[in-house]
Amino acid sequence: MKSSICVVAVVALILSPPCASAEEKKAEGGKTVTGNVSVTGQYTDIGGNRSKFNEYRDIREGVGVHVGAEAGHETENFYLRGEAGNIGYRDQQYRLEGGRWGKFGVELFYDQIPHNFTEDARTIYANPGSSSLTYPTQPPGTNVNTWSIFDYDVMRHKFGGGFKMDMLKPFFFNVSADSEKRTGAYPYGVAGTTPGGISIELPAPIDYRTDGVTFQAGYSRNPLLMSLGYSYSTFDNNSNNIYFRNPSNAATAAVTDVLTLPPDNTCQKLDFKGALKLPMRTKFNVDLGVSQAKSDAGLLTSYVTAGGSTPVTLSSPKFNGKVETQSYGFSLTSTPLSFMDGKIFYKYYERDNRSDQVTTTDGATTLTNSLFGYKKNKAGAELGFRLPANLYLTGDCTYAHVNREREDIPSNDDYLYNAGLRWSGLSFMVARLGYERLNRGADFEGQNLGDAEPWIRRFDAASQTRDTVKATLDFFPMENLNVSLGYRYRHSDYEDTVLGFTDSKGNEFNFDVDYVIVGRVRLYGNFDYERLEEKQVQRNINLTTPVYDPAASTSANYNWSADQKNDSYGFTVGTDIYIVPKKWTLKLQHSYLKSNGEVDYSYMLDPATLTGLSPGGRTQDNVDITNWDDYSLRYYLVKLTYQPTVALSCTVGYAYEKFVYEDAQYDGYQYVPATTGTSGAYLSGAYREPSYEANVLFLNLTYKY
Amino acid sequence: MRKFIVFLLLSSLLVFGVSALMTGDTQGSDGTVGVATCKACHAKHYESYAGSIHARKAIPGSPANRNACETCHGPGAPHLEKMGAGGAGIFIFGKRPADAERKSAKCLSCHTETLRINFWDMGRHRAAGISCDNCHTVHSGTPKNLKARQPDLCLICHLSIRAQHNKQSHHPIREGKVKCTDCHEPHGGFGTKMVAANSANELCYKCHAEKRGPFFREHPPVEENCLICHVPHGSNHSKLLVDKPPKLCQGCHDASGHPGTPYTSFETFGGRATGSKNRMFARGCLNCHSNIHGGMGPAAMGQTFVR
Repeated sequence: MKSSICVVAVVALILSPPCASAEEKKAEGGKTVTGNVSVTGQYTDIGGNRSKFNEYRDIREGVGVHVGAEAGHETENFYLRGEAGNIGYRDQQYRLEGGRWGKFGVELFYDQIPHNFTEDARTIYANPGSSSLTYPTQPPGTNVNTWSIFDYDVMRHKFGGGFKMDMLKPFFFNVSADSEKRTGAYPYGVAGTTPGGISIELPAPIDYRTDGVTFQAGYSRNPLLMSLGYSYSTFDNNSNNIYFRNPSNAATAAVTDVLTLPPDNTCQKLDFKGALKLPMRTKFNVDLGVSQAKSDAGLLTSYVTAGGSTPVTLSSPKFNGKVETQSYGFSLTSTPLSFMDGKIFYKYYERDNRSDQVTTTDGATTLTNSLFGYKKNKAGAELGFRLPANLYLTGDCTYAHVNREREDIPSNDDYLYNAGLRWSGLSFMVARLGYERLNRGADFEGQNLGDAEPWIRRFDAASQTRDTVKATLDFFPMENLNVSLGYRYRHSDYEDTVLGFTDSKGNEFNFDVDYVIVGRVRLYGNFDYERLEEKQVQRNINLTTPVYDPAASTSANYNWSADQKNDSYGFTVGTDIYIVPKKWTLKLQHSYLKSNGEVDYSYMLDPATLTGLSPGGRTQDNVDITNWDDYSLRYYLVKLTYQPTVALSCTVGYAYEKFVYEDAQYDGYQYVPATTGTSGAYLSGAYREPSYEANVLFLNLTYKY
Repeated sequence: MRKFIVFLLLSSLLVFGVSALMTGDTQGSDGTVGVATCKACHAKHYESYAGSIHARKAIPGSPANRNACETCHGPGAPHLEKMGAGGAGIFIFGKRPADAERKSAKCLSCHTETLRINFWDMGRHRAAGISCDNCHTVHSGTPKNLKARQPDLCLICHLSIRAQHNKQSHHPIREGKVKCTDCHEPHGGFGTKMVAANSANELCYKCHAEKRGPFFREHPPVEENCLICHVPHGSNHSKLLVDKPPKLCQGCHDASGHPGTPYTSFETFGGRATGSKNRMFARGCLNCHSNIHGGMGPAAMGQTFVR
């Protein structure tokens, strides 16, 4: 109620001054109010997965009416603008802003963002989406027709506002606040027992609230800028745990299992930004920031196994999480000579983890949580030269050093080199060519960590060389023709990696064209192609008789590799035909998107040993996967617009969309593949069969004023 | 004495008033010709200017309070002397890319005194030869004078990002729920890739506060950089992942038991014999290891993110 009163008050406040001034403006013959109202009636037919079709939107099956509006009111001194979209639907949004030119501005917004994952999911639990998941008898039934049916979706309701004040220039002041409520159900998987047990998909509750406020004040008048900002944010999770009945537990063990969910937290940040203009067209820029995130939660004093509850001794019953960050950035930008630009910079970022370390003792096993933190120092220089013939040559080098609290690779040294050439010698063309080289050195400390660690290089920190080549061409020979071309090649070679990702490659090509023929026909289109390749080498290591050295090979301990390849391409072709210019327009458009992924496995074993692996019958060819996130999306649009007056337009149209998805991990989906062991699972259908086909007929009326 | 002061004030007012009126229509000593002269030939351009924020006299320092058209286009006298042919003798914001720096300089002469534009020199757009008029139109009355709405405006140049937005797993950018400027600062700043934050994680936490922790059980790469596992603009793989579990997870986790097992077509649903594995089918590793972004669970089950 309070927020409603505030909204009305602010709107009234904004509305009142311009009304008086509007009269003056009208007297001068000016137009003070502009906007439009759009009403779309549509009939939609959806076959297949309605959740994927409506992943971030709300187009309902059958007949629907979508209303949107924009309005603006401006005078010499004041302005007020508002817009509303999809009124009454799950993806509705509203925005209102107003103020006095050069003095102050106010903004209010309300936005709903749906995220639909899966419709008609099924679960053994009677109350999906709650924090207490139960079913009547142990073990649960495997007949999915008797299970609960529900939807996986998360809904964000976000509202907020801001106020900015410029009337005291050169001083400025901004304040904004927002609040977001997130509700819904989301799939969380847990192991029934570990290791080697079944997996259970829990329809977990999403019941979050995030509130934030930001202040910023400063001074800005050449040659000096100073700005101080402060933000504070809270996150509240209404369900910090899920209590669930576990199908792996003994029928007699009346013990409720628990999965922890994200803890409540707060975060605040103080930030200073500054700039000072110096002689010789030089500027010194600075950014200093400190932040602190905190959480606290009571820790569970037991965990559940198949036989019942197992107590855990804690060195402290409560965990106080505290992470502080510091960031400092300094840069000097300069154009000391007319033909030269330069920049040098230094950045420092530190994540300092000051959380509690709590030791848990579970029988003979004692574990203490590790505190992860890191420091990053980065420095670099960039130079740009304006050469004859409108050539611009750039070169830069950056050095970055990361120190992290991690055992295998505690530090990295990155040397990044860039060179670029831009040519704008013709008035109708820009060509750009760039090359980047990364040499990443890793301080590997895993030699003595045991198991396979001496041979594993984790790709996020492993040493690598990476080459990237980029080229773009923008071509606009006529006012009515624009052509753009882009190409990008990237290759990462993880040269020291024995186990892990060894090679990564990407090729990408993009094309875009837009052409208007004598003001009567517009032709447009684009094409994108991308090939991504990843190579990795891993080792199967037997649990009971492990042999870690990749140089040794037995039927239970052997290396294998996986080469992933993903080809994607997509295009759009379309035309706008101005049958009678400014009266009748016909739009035709077709888009197609295709992605084809595969995994080529190689067992580094002789064929006989390979065939003998359980389950038998493997060969180097029949283990491969040919549908690895394969999908296609077809889209057709036909619409005819009639504009009887400048103010009124009427559009009738038809759209068709078809999405087909195939993937080895979901083909032949089973809710209960088995009830025990590593093949076992009680799944809920999350992300299952996202394919859909939809037809939409629509009629739109838009009135502009 | 009092009469003299009144006379002096009235005289001053008269002198200043007349000169103020005259500057509107006649050539000034600085070569300006006045807005009426411009309007006489460029009525359409004048109309669009008049409807824009630049024509607001309430804004101190706006072109309306200075030399109107000639604030940005320069004094009109040379243009008139050359009979106004083809933009001769005057600065025009044409398409010629070589003029990018000069065009931006015109805008920055007024706009550099704002927090956002102040760091223009540090941004990649400037280095790439982009000028203000690539995105903004000086004359229109659109919000922020933008030539088009996001993301369409940005995607005119960023073709590869357009391709990523179209992928099956994406942020709701093309649906209009997330804007490019929610994450990026197009006018330059301190962040890598012109990101509007001091680190990638700081940016992501703005919308994903539940990932902020601090957690009792941390997954180091998660805390270091979300972009180790996720691509923000779009992916063929669900959850904007750079790769697909279990392959992605195995890239780091190779150990005795299930982490290093080759999960192949044999381990999918209906895999050969009893081959299906709950580490491969459906969501792979995430079938059990849900708290991969960090958790609060006790003992070994907490440490391995299964509770």
